[in-house]
Amino acid sequence: MSRVAKHKSGTRAAAPPGSPGTGAAFEPMAWLRRWLDAPQPIERLVLLRVLVPLAVLGFLSSRLVHADHWLGSAGFRVPDLGGDWRQPLYLPAMPPWAAWTVAVVIALSGLSLVAGFATPVAAAVLALLVGYATLADRLEAFTVTKLAPPLTLALLLAPCGARYSVDAWLRRRRRPAAPLPTTGGSGTIRFFQVFLVTMYSATGIAKARGDWLTHQVLWTHLHDQYQTAAAWLIMRATPAWGWWILQGLVLLFEVGAPLWFALPWTRRPALVIGLGMHAMIGLMFGPVVWFALLMASMLVACFLPEEPLRRLFAAAMTLGRRRADRTVD
Amino acid sequence: MARRDVDSQERAAPRAPAEARAEPWTPLWLRRAGALAGALYLAAIWLAAVKPALPERVLPRPVLFFTQVAELFPNAAIDSIEWRARGWRCALGRFDEVDVRPFFPIRQDDKESRFDRAMFFHHRQRPVLVALDRYITSAQNHMRPAERIGGVMLLSLRVPIPPLGETGPRWRWMPLDEYPPSVERRYWYTTSMEARTRRCEEEP
Repeated sequence: MSRVAKHKSGTRAAAPPGSPGTGAAFEPMAWLRRWLDAPQPIERLVLLRVLVPLAVLGFLSSRLVHADHWLGSAGFRVPDLGGDWRQPLYLPAMPPWAAWTVAVVIALSGLSLVAGFATPVAAAVLALLVGYATLADRLEAFTVTKLAPPLTLALLLAPCGARYSVDAWLRRRRRPAAPLPTTGGSGTIRFFQVFLVTMYSATGIAKARGDWLTHQVLWTHLHDQYQTAAAWLIMRATPAWGWWILQGLVLLFEVGAPLWFALPWTRRPALVIGLGMHAMIGLMFGPVVWFALLMASMLVACFLPEEPLRRLFAAAMTLGRRRADRTVD
Repeated sequence: MARRDVDSQERAAPRAPAEARAEPWTPLWLRRAGALAGALYLAAIWLAAVKPALPERVLPRPVLFFTQVAELFPNAAIDSIEWRARGWRCALGRFDEVDVRPFFPIRQDDKESRFDRAMFFHHRQRPVLVALDRYITSAQNHMRPAERIGGVMLLSLRVPIPPLGETGPRWRWMPLDEYPPSVERRYWYTTSMEARTRRCEEEP
């Protein structure tokens, strides 16, 4: 007897024998395969392809315009510390022309990935060069640059240029009759979903083991150079007890993330709270805005329900069409 | 025009059957290897924040570095730390504050500046402080030749954080002299007298 199971993406498909609820013995590998292969709307992958490199380039923009100080010999360089833990690998400074070349190639490969032009090559080059830059210069290595290479490599393994891209446009010129893909990259989407949950869970546990249960932490991190005008205004407007509520909410969200995102009825509230948290981080912690945008982009791409996601793309396409028609007229 | 083409292609294309799956461009073995690497990476991220000793034992340092991403703000800050430099003014024979921000142009006004990062990570490592001394002295003498220095004094300020609910003034960069004496100063490095004298005597 074939039983119909509801996929996370909203579509229905036959559950393999041995899935929970079929009456047969639960087979973890079969369940895992079904979970990994469940069709995912291609729009999730496209959103990741566009937003992840944009957030990374946004973060790097302040470094790219000073490439000679960042990777080149014009700026201050930490000398070779001979295996000190603070220096995972010593790579000497480049001559300024080479630093500028690397910066230009990073920018071009990132933009190419966003546009979906030569997508796999762009993803590979971006991952490689950002990985190199992160290792070459510890002083400019932050969470965004550490995350960028593995996330871009995950995109490289998926057909993220299959639609809404220059590659797709070129392919359709060659084969106009080929149907447009509607799903794809299930494994990569699952990787990004588990990545987010892993990040939240790990950071939540680290916070709980740190000071978050005993001290007011949020307040203390809002008094240095990261402080924005918005942070200062919010600090003035929020009563002392409000900070404890915010801190508790963040901790509860992060520690419980595996549960909140696994259960269908808590997934949407978790998405809203997660986006709210990243909006607050972006508003209040100055340059951390790029990290907040990166995480928020992934949250939307991975967990926005299928219907609003498709409506978002349909609206964007309609807007694009109207603009193009107006330009031609 | 290209945009119109894209859109018209989207419109003209036959609607996909209920599910038209995008074909992966990578071979199966590579996707499987990627899945395995991805699973290990996620496990390493989680462990690096929760039980760091394990990945530290197993992973080579350059790989470990990319997994240390999830331990974000676990502890309360006791004070707000500011990193500063004073330069030995050759003409005046005394230390005055040197505004080092123009010498480190990447995010020069916040703690992502290379000077702040170098001091944050390496304020107890003499080889790095010596390199900073050389760099700042050279940059100052090159960019402000009228205010030559022979060496530096590298220090941190520990600015107290106001109690919860008492916001205080908005943060802004202030010269060292404007901080009250109650703000603790910690000195991490001073160029030796011999080196300062030698550099001051050198031809510009």
